Amino acid sequence: MSGCNDYFYTRRNMLKLFSASVLGMPISRMMAQADPTKASAEHVILFWNSGGMSHLDTWDPKPGRKTQGEFNPIKTSVPGMEISEIFPQLAKQMHHAALIRSIQGTNGDHGRAQYELQTGFNVAPNVIHPGLGSLVVHEREPLGDLPAFISISGQAPRAGYLGQQCEAYYVGRPGEKDPYLAFPEGIHHERGQKRLEILAEMNARASGRTGCEEMKAAEVALKDAVNLMESPALKAFELKEESQDTIARYGDNEFGRGALLARRLVEKGVRFVQVNRGGFDNHGNIFEAMRNHGASMDPALASLIEDLKANGKLSKTLVVVLSEFGRTPRINNNGGRDHWARVFSAFMAGGGIKGGSIVGASDADGMDPGERPVKVYDIHATICAALGIDITKELYTHDGRPMKIVRKGGQAISELL
Amino acid sequence: MVKKPLAVTLVFALASTLAGFGQSDTTAAAGGPDFVTRIQPILERNCVRCHNHDKDKGSLRLDTYEEMMKGGAEADAVVVGKPEESELIIRTHLRPIDEGFMPDEGQMLTGEELELLSDWVKTGAKWPKGVTLTEKKPEPVKRVAMPERPPANAAQAAAYLDDILKRENAAEKELFKAPGISDMAFLRRATIDLIGRIPTMDEIDHYEKAGADRRSKLIEELLGHDRFSERWTIFYADMLRIRSNLPGGNSLLAYVNQSIEQSKPYDTMVHELISASGRPNSNPAVGYILGENADPMELAAATSQIFLGVRLGCAMCHDHPFDDWQQKDFYELAAFFGKTKRVQSRNNGTVYATEGHEMMVMWPPEDKAKDKPRRPVAPTFPFTLTEYEKEPHYLTRFEQKRRKSDASKPKQDKDAAIEALLDGIDTSPSKPKDPILAEAKRESRKLNVHNDLYRVSELRDQLAGLVTSPRNGFFARAFVNRVWAELMGHGFVEPLDNFSDYTELRHATTLDYLAHEFIASGYDLRSLIRIIMLSDAYQLDHIEGDHALTERERAEKNFTAAPVRRMLGEVLYDSLVVAGHLSDYKWPAGANIKTIERQVRVPTGETRMIDGDSSTPAMQEAKTTIRRDGYDLESSLEVDFDSLLSRAEKSDIASMKNKSDEQIEAEKMAAMARMQSRTRMIYRTEIKTEKIDDNPRFSSAMLMATPAPPAHFLRVFGQPTREGLGEFREDHSSLRQQLMMLNGRLTNEAARVGPKEPLHKILQEDLRRAIEWAYLEILTRKPDAIESNRAHSIIQSASSPAEGMADLRWALLNSHEFRYQP
Repeated sequence: MSGCNDYFYTRRNMLKLFSASVLGMPISRMMAQADPTKASAEHVILFWNSGGMSHLDTWDPKPGRKTQGEFNPIKTSVPGMEISEIFPQLAKQMHHAALIRSIQGTNGDHGRAQYELQTGFNVAPNVIHPGLGSLVVHEREPLGDLPAFISISGQAPRAGYLGQQCEAYYVGRPGEKDPYLAFPEGIHHERGQKRLEILAEMNARASGRTGCEEMKAAEVALKDAVNLMESPALKAFELKEESQDTIARYGDNEFGRGALLARRLVEKGVRFVQVNRGGFDNHGNIFEAMRNHGASMDPALASLIEDLKANGKLSKTLVVVLSEFGRTPRINNNGGRDHWARVFSAFMAGGGIKGGSIVGASDADGMDPGERPVKVYDIHATICAALGIDITKELYTHDGRPMKIVRKGGQAISELL
Repeated sequence: MVKKPLAVTLVFALASTLAGFGQSDTTAAAGGPDFVTRIQPILERNCVRCHNHDKDKGSLRLDTYEEMMKGGAEADAVVVGKPEESELIIRTHLRPIDEGFMPDEGQMLTGEELELLSDWVKTGAKWPKGVTLTEKKPEPVKRVAMPERPPANAAQAAAYLDDILKRENAAEKELFKAPGISDMAFLRRATIDLIGRIPTMDEIDHYEKAGADRRSKLIEELLGHDRFSERWTIFYADMLRIRSNLPGGNSLLAYVNQSIEQSKPYDTMVHELISASGRPNSNPAVGYILGENADPMELAAATSQIFLGVRLGCAMCHDHPFDDWQQKDFYELAAFFGKTKRVQSRNNGTVYATEGHEMMVMWPPEDKAKDKPRRPVAPTFPFTLTEYEKEPHYLTRFEQKRRKSDASKPKQDKDAAIEALLDGIDTSPSKPKDPILAEAKRESRKLNVHNDLYRVSELRDQLAGLVTSPRNGFFARAFVNRVWAELMGHGFVEPLDNFSDYTELRHATTLDYLAHEFIASGYDLRSLIRIIMLSDAYQLDHIEGDHALTERERAEKNFTAAPVRRMLGEVLYDSLVVAGHLSDYKWPAGANIKTIERQVRVPTGETRMIDGDSSTPAMQEAKTTIRRDGYDLESSLEVDFDSLLSRAEKSDIASMKNKSDEQIEAEKMAAMARMQSRTRMIYRTEIKTEKIDDNPRFSSAMLMATPAPPAHFLRVFGQPTREGLGEFREDHSSLRQQLMMLNGRLTNEAARVGPKEPLHKILQEDLRRAIEWAYLEILTRKPDAIESNRAHSIIQSASSPAEGMADLRWALLNSHEFRYQP
């Protein structure tokens, strides 16, 4: 069973499945879902840092080199692992985390690189690949009442050929009430229920008369919408249940609240949470900007890992920090760094990932991978593997074109699992 | 490389069991399948294309028995009697994504074909002496006879259309045909399709009084309606992938809107789009070139796919996998754009397209050149223009029509780029045929005005002529296929932009006929729509609920029943606005005073040293007009088309685009952080109460910047991002759609009965009539007795008639019948 609510043409899809089997494709394989017994992780919290976050000023410091910049490395809870001074609290949690320092990107343009990092594929004509979150919720069964895939403070990538039903549920600002999850102002519960009854009657008449699959699908979606509105799990969205201290610990700002909300959603069974943050395209004054980013990111990420550990969820929750590329080792005349895809880093923690590991290394100046280059789609393979998703499986676009979940040649990073 | 036969057999066994193929169905008696009738066609259609005398991929040839038995570079193609050891069988049984799958990048063989091949190998792989195979293309599409004489008028053209459809369906056995729709359903369907919203009470009234020919009268009125151009701008915006946030995006939108309004012939419009140079401000058609970054490869891919319905872009990197196009064809087409350049002014960031001197498209492709020199490609149009011995009547009619319209209009510059070239210079169109003026214009094309700005492209002008030629069989058909699908629910070819000998084309003659009539009308969109809408095919009902799904699909595919179509997002939005009287205030001032509580952050007067963050008050205060919680998902921010077409400079907007969105965001954050200079005011959160007069008013979604922001109402209801080629609207249902309709402001405000709408008064006077009114306004029909009684009890059991009516209207607006077209 998929975590995407596929309301569309349910019967037609079954027909298509059958005709596909006529083409010689084994139906059992097409129906195969992830094997949860192989999964080390059940949830993902993806922090998507849009704009291209500097690897040199975060996870891959280069002390003593011209490319170092303003920040000094600091020691972490893992002997020999150093990260930038902008993450003092997170440094104490690094025994839960792994760093990948040798990612080889292939695009230096925001749009194309974001597509590559978020989908694991390069832009190609006439197909839209699904983002990571859509893929995961398509492959893994739903866990609770809440939408399986939720995006906070911005949009997640599209679900592409998986269809709109696998797209993220959007949360504008963490902590604010979503007006679409309750009857509108002035409509009390009984009146709302009465309205729904009237509507159900009307719809049953119409879909009965036309026998239309689309209408029946819409009715299932409607039922799910009402269930969601009435679900006690909705409380997860309300940060006021948390103490002021907790909110302050994460940082009483959008990013901190986003991280806190992500934790609450995962606790209520949300499979994939994406927390978006912008402002990393620092062509000028990068050190000032990164110091500010650190001030928001550090307490939020550190508190999240600490709390997940404390409530026992960390081992089942994969926390990932990704960006579309890194930034130039050379510091430009505006005190900034430009786009750099040849090598950059990523952060992963929890979800069965071996804490304290460092995968690969960039060369002395952070220009190119120094050892164990990691392809972008190896990251996708790793995340899928952690969730028990078979990366060799293929999916079908609605016009029957077979698509791989992970690009051919993608391999999970075995050192981490 | 060679796969384990065991796994293959397993796959095969499973597939054939599931599919229910038995040996006896396909296999001839003892001798195995007959080569000439059963095996040869499979090989000729699927294998010989790459394994022949000229092209022996993998060193394998399959055109003669001897060559086949020599095998390929790695293994034997056929081991007689042993299909499980024959590479021919192993590889065709792989899945398309497997390494080594055959036909490589082609369509997988059918279960029946696979079985025949296996059986043939098993029974001795008999191949009659001397038979040499040659590549066979798929069977040509079947066509029926065209009417011989031109139609006298649109009604006759529609009748011819129905007749052709009927003859093309003759081979379909027991095809169910839905009855025609009622007059009222026609009113609703046609109004939605042509002007993008449901009909109003006045329109219903007018239509009912119109007499027996009310349907054709309605079509004429709708074609002449102000909103027609707005509705069909959406159609073009999807097709051309117009994005407001690109340089020239909004100008292009305005240009398309104006072109429809002025009935600009489709070929003229496309000619302008392909050939335009200059700035969007002075030559808005250039938005098409700029939208593809003036990149020759992207432009060639887009031009062939959008205007000709051929996915030539697939041949960008290699010969087309599913078609006969060669990579060279693609490069030769791209060469027409090979001198086009996108330039950004250093002074003010204005973006424009111009023509350079050098051909940038080179052959061979970079990755295949090795040490060979790369040479400029000579532009060549890869599609043939049909030459007729005797000119068909649609061409004669087209030429007559063109001569007439050319003569009646004051001669305008055909080439819109000239406008841009002479930007700012008053060009009084004196004697158009004046040879001196013509010469001057020819010369001026070569001039570099404005420091080499805006040079006209001779190459693109030439290409535009070839693309839009009435003798180019692809151009009109690709467009007709799209218009037909927009009105009928699906096209003759699907996906709509994938015409190929290898994709299914249904009702080829109907398509040809419409294409010819479209050309004969002088590429007039309204004439094309008129013929389609006057046809019986357009005016059919849906199939009733008790038919089997396969029967329903077959009838819909053959256009003997109408598929259920959901309104486009924009149309649904505007229909809610119309049904709910929300385009103007329906409440008197002060009727909806509300006290709202708002969380605000107030400075405490203390400061502390710390970071700048994205949610500082400074940022929140910057956007006072929209909701602060990130949920501004139903507003409509209008684009002013008229002002866009004026020649005013908008360089500040253009220069914003000089930087990437990411960069702007980063700078904004940095500036904000700096402003607070690290010492930051400490804020506390307070609840503030305010009184507001909540008297809602919504404008048309048709005029919004497009596509709308992600998660906006329009996007949730299927508006595409228009980023990639081959992207179409989604019509799936979703949770988000339902939540938006159930709880959204638009539906709820539409449901409330405002004192300024007619229903308010009727509700006080006559409940039965009020119910009828509500049904008519929302569903364009009267309620039946059951519905009327039910509505009556709903309203009477409510705490007030106004509340009860609001409940009824809310349900009607949320109902299937509202959202799906009749």
